Amino acid sequence: MLPPPAAFQFPWEINSDLVKDGASVRTCGRLISYVPEESKAVLSGQQSSAQCHVSVQTTLVEPFQPILGAQYFVLGEIEKTDGLSGVMLRARALTCVDGVDLTLMQQAIVEQRRFFKERETKDEYASSLLRLASSTALEFSSALGAGTTTTNMTMMYYLRGKFSK
Amino acid sequence: MAVNPGGADADEPPSMLWGLDPVFSAYSRLYITDILQMKESTQVPGVYFYKNHPLFQVDVLGTVVYKRERDDFYCYGVDDSTGVINCLCWKDEKWKDQGEPSKYRDPSGSSRGFNIEDELKRLKEAERKSTVLEIGDLLRVRGTVKTSRDAREIKANSFYKVSDPVMAVQISHMLEMPQLYRKCYDQPFQMPSDDLGGTEAGGSSHFHYLLSRSVLTLKEFLLEKEVARFRPYDVEFLLHPLIQSSSAEQESDQPRSFATQIRKLLKETLSILQDEGQIFRKIRTQDEVYNVTEQDKDLHTAIKDVLREDTKREKYAEKGCHVLHILSSVRQRYSQNLSREVLEVALTFLECNSDIISTTEAHYIVL
Repeated sequence: MLPPPAAFQFPWEINSDLVKDGASVRTCGRLISYVPEESKAVLSGQQSSAQCHVSVQTTLVEPFQPILGAQYFVLGEIEKTDGLSGVMLRARALTCVDGVDLTLMQQAIVEQRRFFKERETKDEYASSLLRLASSTALEFSSALGAGTTTTNMTMMYYLRGKFSK
Repeated sequence: MAVNPGGADADEPPSMLWGLDPVFSAYSRLYITDILQMKESTQVPGVYFYKNHPLFQVDVLGTVVYKRERDDFYCYGVDDSTGVINCLCWKDEKWKDQGEPSKYRDPSGSSRGFNIEDELKRLKEAERKSTVLEIGDLLRVRGTVKTSRDAREIKANSFYKVSDPVMAVQISHMLEMPQLYRKCYDQPFQMPSDDLGGTEAGGSSHFHYLLSRSVLTLKEFLLEKEVARFRPYDVEFLLHPLIQSSSAEQESDQPRSFATQIRKLLKETLSILQDEGQIFRKIRTQDEVYNVTEQDKDLHTAIKDVLREDTKREKYAEKGCHVLHILSSVRQRYSQNLSREVLEVALTFLECNSDIISTTEAHYIVL
């Protein structure tokens, strides 16, 4: 019922292979052209000196006041067609955000991504440690033989020994 | 037998201690993905855990991607780029009878000047507008997390449309969140189990916890065994299991010895019981002998005697003796060290046994 979350992608990332077909994304770019009859708009973003364009299908968000040259924020799904049209973003929400501080926004997105990446690596590390611990514990108990019980302390010493190697 | 990688129950802090976590009382600003994934508490349904922080109220900022309207409420689907969650936003009663927003007279042109009614209507209209959102608008919601039909949603306590023409609010939100997480939500909830503050009396909450348990244990023991008098070392053994179990839980080395801890705990327990009036020292000598108020027959007899004699006097016949009068008489008769609390405990006990009766809140007569 609820649409999937739309992660922020830069315009140059949308055209590349980073973004899958059907993914929900949000992005920001300058309105270069708008063809109301075909409901197509083109947003452009700049990375270093290269310009890149994102085609936007605006059927769902019309009518809207197009201000050529203004910054727009768009949220929608990616459609990758094999033909010449390339990558199309079917917009669900389109807002004019002219005056946005692009450098600051980029900084914010990079910061957020860095945070999530840190989290991922921490989680991976923790879960791999956990796996190792539980497999070691199983080893230990099977080595002792069935029917014996062991205290936590003994187990800990064994684990310590294993991990310090 | 195998190492438990941390079962859900073992990880959860006990519900008694939840109030100690500031995150619990605040509207936590978490990413929606975390709100959707957090575990529900096994102790109290309706409370959720993010990394052992108990919480039930959240504050989210995101784009509206879904809208459903009913008579009483709006249901907005909010997307903050990490997840989407439904927010139930109840409509305010006062806007039900609003009717059509009428055209307002321009106050600057009006001869009446500032028309309070019109201004009030405008204010109400503006308030109402801030709650009606369309897809694509930015919404801020503060409310409680609820799980209904397997889906998490937020029942909004307050919500409003955020006016963000240059995305400044969203950008600052994106910059703040990682900081918030690093400083606050990802820091583990420090349950007061490491007894670093044990030097001052009642310095750490773990000590308080032990203390309350020891007071209870001692009270139960005194009641069960009908102890009338005791010395501290007689009851020391009761506290041994408490200290032993607490040191088993802690991983750090104990800076203090077992005996010191026991002594300290015992001293504090006895002092608390004295303050409550449950025990008292009849004579202050080197020998630490404690009398248990409710079991001390001599004390009870002394009180009854005082009451019996004094109610014969005309002064006290009808109304009874005031507590303070009883206190001074019993002090003369029985023990100078009697405190008011002890007397009150004894009087309540006697009253429960129907030996005496209270005529007013502070007066007693003998039956």
